[in-house]
Order: sequence, then C-alpha cells, then structure tokens
Amino acid sequence: MTLTTPAKAPAEESRWRALGVRADVRNLSLLGVLAVLVTVGGLTRPAEFLATSNLQLVLTQASVIGVVTVGMTFVITSGGIDLSVGAIVALASVWATTLATQEFGFAGILFTAVIVGVGCGLVNGVLIAYGGMVPFIATLAMLASARGLALQITDGRTQIVTVDAVLDLGVPDAYVLGIPPLVLVFAAVTAAGWLLLNRTTFGRRTVAVGGNPEAARLAGIDVRRQRLLLYVLSGLCCGIAAFLLIVLAGSGQNTNGNLYELDAIAAAIIGGTLLSGGRGTIVGSVLGVLVFTTITNIFALNNLQSDVQQIAKGAIIVAAVLVQRRSARDGDS
Amino acid sequence: MPETSRRHLLLGGAAVSAGALLTACTSNEPKNQAPAAGAAPGADDKPGTPVTIGFAGPQADHGWLNAINDNAQQRAKKYSDVTLEITEGSNETAAQIGQVQTLINKKVDVLVILPADGKALTQVGLQAMKAGIPVVNLDRVFASPQAYRCWIGGDNYGMGLNAGRFIGEQLKDKPNATVIELAGMDSLELTKQRTQGFDDALKNYPNIRKVARQAADFTVESGQAKMAQLLQAQPTFDALWNHDDDQGVGALRAIAQAGRKDFLMVGGAGAKSAMDAIKADDGVLKATVLYPPTMAASAIDLARALAQNKGIGGMAELEIPASITLYSAVVTKENVDEYLPTGFS
Amino acid sequence: MAPAQQPPLLTMSGITKSFPGVRALDGVDLDVAPGEVHCLLGQNGAGKSTLIKVLAGAHQPDAGHITWNGETVRLRTPSAAVRLGIATIYQELDLVEGLSVAENVHLGHEPSTAGFVKGRAARTATAALLARLGHPEIDPARHLRELSAAQRQIVSMARALSHDVRLIVMDEPSAALDPDEVANLFRIVADLTADGVAVVYISHRLEEIRRIGDRVTVLKDGRAVARGLPATTPTRDVVALMTGRDLPYVFPDRPAHPPTTAPVLQVQGLTRQGEFEDIDLELRPGEIVGLAGLVGSGRSEILETVYGARRPTAGRVLVDGRPLRPGSVPAAVRAGLGLAPEERKAQGLLLLESVTSNVSVSTLARFSRGGWLDRTAERQAARAATRTLSLRPDRPEAPVRTLSGGNQQKAVLARWLLRGCRVLLLDEPTRGVDVGARAELYAVIRRLADEGLAVLLVSSEVPEVLGLADRVLVLREGRVVHTAPARDLDEHRVLDLVMEGSPTA
Repeated sequence: MTLTTPAKAPAEESRWRALGVRADVRNLSLLGVLAVLVTVGGLTRPAEFLATSNLQLVLTQASVIGVVTVGMTFVITSGGIDLSVGAIVALASVWATTLATQEFGFAGILFTAVIVGVGCGLVNGVLIAYGGMVPFIATLAMLASARGLALQITDGRTQIVTVDAVLDLGVPDAYVLGIPPLVLVFAAVTAAGWLLLNRTTFGRRTVAVGGNPEAARLAGIDVRRQRLLLYVLSGLCCGIAAFLLIVLAGSGQNTNGNLYELDAIAAAIIGGTLLSGGRGTIVGSVLGVLVFTTITNIFALNNLQSDVQQIAKGAIIVAAVLVQRRSARDGDS
Repeated sequence: MPETSRRHLLLGGAAVSAGALLTACTSNEPKNQAPAAGAAPGADDKPGTPVTIGFAGPQADHGWLNAINDNAQQRAKKYSDVTLEITEGSNETAAQIGQVQTLINKKVDVLVILPADGKALTQVGLQAMKAGIPVVNLDRVFASPQAYRCWIGGDNYGMGLNAGRFIGEQLKDKPNATVIELAGMDSLELTKQRTQGFDDALKNYPNIRKVARQAADFTVESGQAKMAQLLQAQPTFDALWNHDDDQGVGALRAIAQAGRKDFLMVGGAGAKSAMDAIKADDGVLKATVLYPPTMAASAIDLARALAQNKGIGGMAELEIPASITLYSAVVTKENVDEYLPTGFS
Repeated sequence: MAPAQQPPLLTMSGITKSFPGVRALDGVDLDVAPGEVHCLLGQNGAGKSTLIKVLAGAHQPDAGHITWNGETVRLRTPSAAVRLGIATIYQELDLVEGLSVAENVHLGHEPSTAGFVKGRAARTATAALLARLGHPEIDPARHLRELSAAQRQIVSMARALSHDVRLIVMDEPSAALDPDEVANLFRIVADLTADGVAVVYISHRLEEIRRIGDRVTVLKDGRAVARGLPATTPTRDVVALMTGRDLPYVFPDRPAHPPTTAPVLQVQGLTRQGEFEDIDLELRPGEIVGLAGLVGSGRSEILETVYGARRPTAGRVLVDGRPLRPGSVPAAVRAGLGLAPEERKAQGLLLLESVTSNVSVSTLARFSRGGWLDRTAERQAARAATRTLSLRPDRPEAPVRTLSGGNQQKAVLARWLLRGCRVLLLDEPTRGVDVGARAELYAVIRRLADEGLAVLLVSSEVPEVLGLADRVLVLREGRVVHTAPARDLDEHRVLDLVMEGSPTA
C-alpha cells in the first residue's frame, strides 16, 4: 500500500471536481495570462480595448480557429494529430463558394462546407484507423491534396459570395442581444465539445484510446472505429469553421485557413491537452485560442507590427508548456 | 548556337513594339493601355522568324499571378510565329530551377522567367544567358544583371508613392488628417518598398499623419482579420491605403461589418472586383494603384523581339532596354473604364 | 576461475528503486569480482532489468550506494557508467537499424578528426573486434538491417568491447542464438574473464549458468533472496528460490466437490505457430484452472489468443458451446470473457485516469443513454465493484497510478466484475503485488469463483498455481505435458515436469 501522492493533492482535486472542473492548474494559469492581457489592454488603450465592440471583435476573430481547435483537441486527446485542418477549411470554403454552389443559396453553402469537411475527415480516419497509416503522414498527405484541390477549384481566384443570407450573418444587424452569430456558433461548438468529451461514452473512449491504446483494446473498446470517428469529428469542425470563415470574409479563397493546424495545435497544447494523448481539456483549448486572439488584438490596437506579435506568441507557447511540465511533475511526485 | 544569339542581341533591328509597353514607359495618361490580349497599335504583327518562348512562373495561387499566366498565354496566341512552352507553376525554388533547366535543355529561343524567389533563381538565369538564351526577367528581379537580358516589372515604391499622392491631394485641405495603412506580407521586400513610397509621398503633406499600420498577408482572410483590428484601434481616420486588392476583399468585408463609411480607401494591384467597386462608387474604395499583370504580355513581346532580333519602336536605340519599370497608374472613377478590361479576378 | 576472496570490482548495496505504485528494488546487494561470471536469476518482474539499468546509469536509485574498485561512485548517466568501464548489452538490442555495423559499434564515440568521422579507422577497428569475437565474416560496412538476430548480438557485443571495458552486463544474450552460436558466446565469455573482465550474466536457462557461471544471485520481488551462491547449487534449489514462497501464503479453501456443470469455456486444438500447439482445455463455472510453465512456455500467449487479442493459426474457442470469432477482443468481451493482462500498466490500466474510469471502461454502454453518460450511476456501480474487492483507498476519483500494485490489480478485476463477465483470464495476477497483499487477492479470486466465475490462471509461481487452482495444466515449450487436480501435485513434481528434457533437470 504505497500511496505516493501527497495528502493535500487529493483534497484539492475533489474540490475542483465538485465544481465540475477537472483539477487543472493549467486552466488557472491561462486564466491568469488572460487577466494580465486584459489589464495590459485596458491600461494601454482603455477606450478601444474595453469597448463592447472590441469584445465582439475578439470573440468573432476567435470563432473560426476556435471551432477548429475543439476538433483538434479530440484528435490530440486520442493520441493522434490532424495536420490537415487548415487545408480542409480552405477546400470546404472554396467548394462551398463556387458559382454552382452559390446557386443553392444559404443551405447549399452550409451543407457543402460541412459535407466536404466530414468527407475529408472520413478519408483521414479510414487511412489512419483501417489503413494503418501514421496520423502525421496521413493528414500531411491530406493537407497537400486538399490545398491542391482548393487551388484547382479556384484557379487562384477569390470567389466572392453574393448570397445575402450568408453575408448578413456577419454584420451588426444580425447580432443576437449584442452577440455576433459566429460567436454563438463558437459557443455552441465549445459547449457540445465539452459535453462530448466529459459526459459521454464517446469522450471516455477517446481518453482511453489516447491514454493507453493497448489497454483500451484489451478492455474491449473498438479502437479503430473510435479513431475513425475522431477524424470525422475533426473534419466536421473544419466544415463548420469553413462556413464561419465564408461569413466572415464574404468569400472563399484557396489560401484560407493558412497554418490553422499550427495555431490549433498550439492552442490545445497550451490549454493543457497532452500532445501524447490521454488527457484533453476543451476549456483549456478555448482559453488558449482566446489568449492568442487577445494578444493579436492588443498588439494591433497598440500598432505593434507582426514581427513582435509572432515573437510574443512563441514566448507564450514556451511559457505555457513550461508551466504544464511543472504541474505535471507536481502531480506525479 | 550561342554566338549567333549573342550577335542578334547586339544587332538590334526593325521597329517593333507593344502598345502597352510604350504606354507604360512614357505616360501617366494611359490612353493606349490595352487589355491583355487586345490590339497592340504599332506592333509588328507580321509573322517573322518562328520563335519558341519558354515561360516559367510561380504557382498561380493568387489572382494576380493567375492573371500573369493568362496574359502571357493570350499574348503568345496572338502571334502565329510564337510557340509558348509554359511550365507548371511552382513556388519551390528547387522545382522552378529544374523547370528552367528543362527549358534550357529544350533549347528554347528565349526565356521569360517570373521567379518564385528572385535571388534564389539568379544562378539558373546566369546559366541560361551563358547558354546563349536571352532571359526576360519578369517582375521579381534576379540578384545579378548578368542573369537577364531585360527586366520588366512593376514599381512597388511607385505604387506607394502614387497612393500617397492621391490620398494627399484628396486630403490636402483638411487640417490634422489621419491615414492608416493595411500592408501586405511583411516578410517581403516589396511590402517595405510600398510602405516607403507611401511614407515619402505623405512627407509632402504636413497636415496628414499616418497613425497606424498592420500587415496582412495578401489573403482575404488576413485582410478581414487585420482590418477589423485596425478599425477597432482607430475610431476615426480619413484615409486607408491597402497594399493589395485581394486582401482588400477581406478588408472591405471588415469595413462593412463594422458599418464604417467615414473615410476613403485606396487599393493596390488592380483587381476587377476593386475596379467594379470604384466604378459603382457606392463605398469607401475610391481608387486603386496598378501593378499591372499586363507586364506578362509585354514580356512576351519583348521576348519575341529579342529572338527576332528587333528593338522597340518609338525609341531611338536599336536595342531593347536592359530594364523597364512600369508605371503604377492610379485608377479612379474617372478613368476606370479604360482599365476595367485589365482587371483580374 | 575467480577466487571470491579477491577484492570486488563492483559492490552494490542496499539498492532501492520505486516507481509509482510499485517497489521494483528493495535493498538489493550485489558484488562482482574481477574475472568472474556472476549470474543474475529471477522471474520476469523480479527486478533484474531495473537492477542492470541502475548499473548502466539509466536509472537513479532512490537509496543505496555503489562502489567501484573500492571507491563510491554515482552513475548519473549512461555515459558515466561507460567511462568507468561498465558496458551493457540489452536484451532488446539498442542498435540503430539505419546505420552500418561499424557505425553502430562506434556510436557515440566515433573516431574522428575535427568532427569528421574517420570511417576507415572505424571499420578497421570494428573488423578487429569482430574477429576477436569469432565472427570475422561480418562486414563492418554492411547495414545492420541485413544481419540476422545472432549477428546483431555479436555487433552489440563488439560495441560493448569497443570501450575500455572492465564489466559487461549481458541480458539474456543466448535468447536469440542457436546451440553453435551459444558455444561461441561461451568461448567469448571465457576469453573475457581470462583477461580479468567481469561479466554479469542474465539468463533463464539454468544449464547455461551451470556451465559458465561462477556465482549466482537470485532476485525475487525486488529482493535478493540468495547472494553469491556457487553456480553448482542444484537446479531444483535455484528454481525453488526463484519461484518459492517467502511467506507461507494462506490459500483459500477449495470447494469440497468440483463443479460438474457444463463447461462455459472450451478450447479445442488451439495453435499459434511457433508459440504453442494443440491446446485443449475446459473450464466450468466455479472452477479455477491453472497454467504452470516456465517463461517462454507459451502461457501468456495462450491466454491472449483465447481472448482474441492474438489470432490463432488453428483451433477454436467456444463459449457455452458457441464458437467465438477468432482474433476479436470485442467478440470475446461480449461473450463474457475478461482479461487481467500480464503487463498491468502497459496493457491493463489507463494510468492517468481515475479508478472509476478504469473500472467502467468496459461497461460504458450500460451507463449511457444515447451516448450520454450517467456519471452518478457509473460512479456508484464502480464503487460497489471496488468495495466488493476491498479496493483501497475507497476513493473512486483517485488516479489509478497512485494505487499500490495489488489495488491496481483489484481495479482491473473490478472492471470485469462490473461487466458481469463469466470467464476471467488472469495473467500473473500477483506480479508486482506486495507479498502481504497477495493472500487477500487470492481470497478475492477464490470468492469470485465460488460466485460462479470460471477462472483461467497463469502464474510463474508454482506454489501460487498449486495453492489457488483446482486443476493444473503443466506446459512445456508450448504444449500441455500434464493435467491433474492441484491436490495431486506438489512443487517438485511440477518443476520436474516443466524442466523435463532440459539437460540439467
């Protein structure tokens, strides 16, 4: 009977659990980072930063990458990786904005974006779960093909959206109680993702497959089916994100979703999802996205240039992962 | 046949030219600015010695680059004596080097190269020149003048300068006017040149101050994102200079989403969507500064003339110039009809 | 060969090393004299690997100290051990597939000038080493992937000798070798010891130890149960030390009358090429059947094949008379089978997760409506199962990695109890479980059987099989050599059976 955890840790843990929150120092530290950022923004540009319109702006800009990150969080939690998210967003956004698709109006655009996303995810999932390909390679191949296909569809041209029902979703008139529709979608996806990961058999199996695939297999879980579904889920999120991006940018372009894969992975990791799988947090991922978006916002408001923004982003990633390592060590010792 | 080629270069020849070229070189009243594949007044359309032109460009993942390819192809089709060997576009330096080398081995008569990265492709330009194949360097310049016979390209500094002048003239009577800048990709030299030109032009107008600048990366998505931030950061300003019409699509979207109308906007490059908006005159976009993709058509003309041993009409020199910098004309509501056919999508 | 009076080259004393949930080494002492072949014996999990990793500088001990030539040393890194002259040849050879023989031999200490590898010098040196090892036919320039397992073994040894080595640790060097090659290995060992190099030799083959060993240290459950025995100790005594009981375990009583109901599990002619052949067995509700055999006799493989985790090449498994789909774990689980795997941490547990999650993982569907988890019901059911087994601490949300080995095993058992499984396959259920906690685990297993479960038990500890099982199948080299009621067998008889045919038995 060697109980190796210090006595105080379990008490803390259960208190957090009582609140329905996973014991997670990382979420707290990210909230701290966010608080610091808000203070900096509030001090440097009080009028602009603290305005309602700025909150709307930050949340809107976080929506597209946020939805992608929710899907990515599931994949990483299961021990996988999806490098193709940006390319799938690009492909879905251009396929949904071709002249032919636009003829079908709002529903046509939404439906196409989602179906293309799910379809790409399905291909990823089949290659990985049943084709035995390493996720890194399979999704890298998807990245290349989807970008190529997107370029082929657009021929490098920007496809302007002329469907008013879609465009109108992005303007202030469409805000519900001051909340932009895109943000509502983001919130809904986040809530659904949280419930799916924490309250369903699907989520539990995702964690099991990521934590110990062999144990999951020997416990009777259909690991391959689970993996397949996870990449489909990621594709679905990309499809939704593509639709949001179409609304936001009023167009489809093959350059859309550039480097989303890195942004989404970074946000998930600083949020506390283990890159090796077995532990994932939707709240953390969304906080990660908000931290990045807020940094961009504050830097833009203060007219700092993109070089500085990128340096700060890198520094935040390093700092967050260092905190993560430390808390992981504390948890184990 | 390196020697013969070299001799051709030195000999020069009969007057021949493309209208677009002339216009670009001589005037800021571009009456004769021709659409890509349109008529070329004064050009020698009579078939001459058959010419094979090798064309290597980057991957057309952007409207402007796509227009470059179109212009080159349309122009070549116009001449019965021109055969165009066009390679698949590539953004990878190594791949593009390979493609150019293939064209050299095929012994094309003359090469038109728009390098993905000018400095990185210098060596292969030198190789071609040594092999006796004259190179027309399109837009992104090689590191060494020895690597090309003739360079033709746009004027990034001039774009900024003309955008600044246009805005300056509009705002010169307004005290304490403010402008903001939505730049292109900061990692590119050309972005710095466009910004520099703009800043230099504004120095002539002491009443105008540039209050903010953010860099997007030529994509619609980034244009929307960065413009939205700029609009939040600057509750009021009088003018906006946007480096690129493609990212301008996103910028205009952000402006519409923010419900802002209280300033004038100048775009860059000359996309059709931008020209349409200027013509309609129902929004903030009042002008765009050209970076004409018709340069590819002119490059084909230059290449043909080089191979056929001719010079440019309307100039005293027998030889084709070593470098031709195109003029960055300002397209406004007044002259937009003339430019609309060159607008790319 | 090596007089024990000579001052020892290496002394390890009181070496202790714990990993979360298990104490791998518990005050182990070991001394090795120059020119000696010191054999290390023990079952899997006895602590041999941990001990040699401490010696190689790969693990840092929690307590204890090491002296080398009379000086206290700390082996903080593998390279520190190498600098002292300690080389280790691991069982899973740590060679790089993509490199040549010579590059592998000199990996990490390439002969070089200003950073440029002197390839010719490396190849010449390698050729000399290979010749010394009796294998001049291996070309130093060849790629490792072109070599056979035995040749790789030689390369690994050449790599050890490429250092100025005083002590070589060999972890089951003969496992991949055929008899000729083993003879060559022994010649090499003899040459080395003649030069004064000490060898720590690990093997399961007792006859090898008899042939080349000088002294023997036996590890069991992280303790040295015998130190420096002469290698001439009778095999049976050595095996008894390895497998025997430290404490008189209390085994629960067997039911007076063996069950006579219809068998729930039938295995017929089950075969996996190269692992085991033609296994027949029947298992009735309420019965515990034990599989006894040495490591490599195919015990675990049989269990995993019955469970569908491996696909048989012939034969079939029936539950309630109906054949199971071969090679499908979900099918086996649906039919009512449950496995507590040998490698509990690697194969059984979700270490980052709570006890509840680990217990409910095979039964999630029961607590879900439309995929939605009823977490209260889940927690209550899991807790009921863990309480039945007296799992401690009684805290369902505790991370399973913080539990002791015995309680981790109970979590796995609780999983199948909750699932309501009818056939429990137990692979080394007391591996890594503290001695004191075993009796309790035995009682739990017997109680589950009394409640109608059929249990198939694999253990390398003969007393455990004899004490717990109703019937015992004795395995040797993948075949059943004897079947009998446990009460008709004793430890000596079983040891005779499992080793019959071995030269020294």
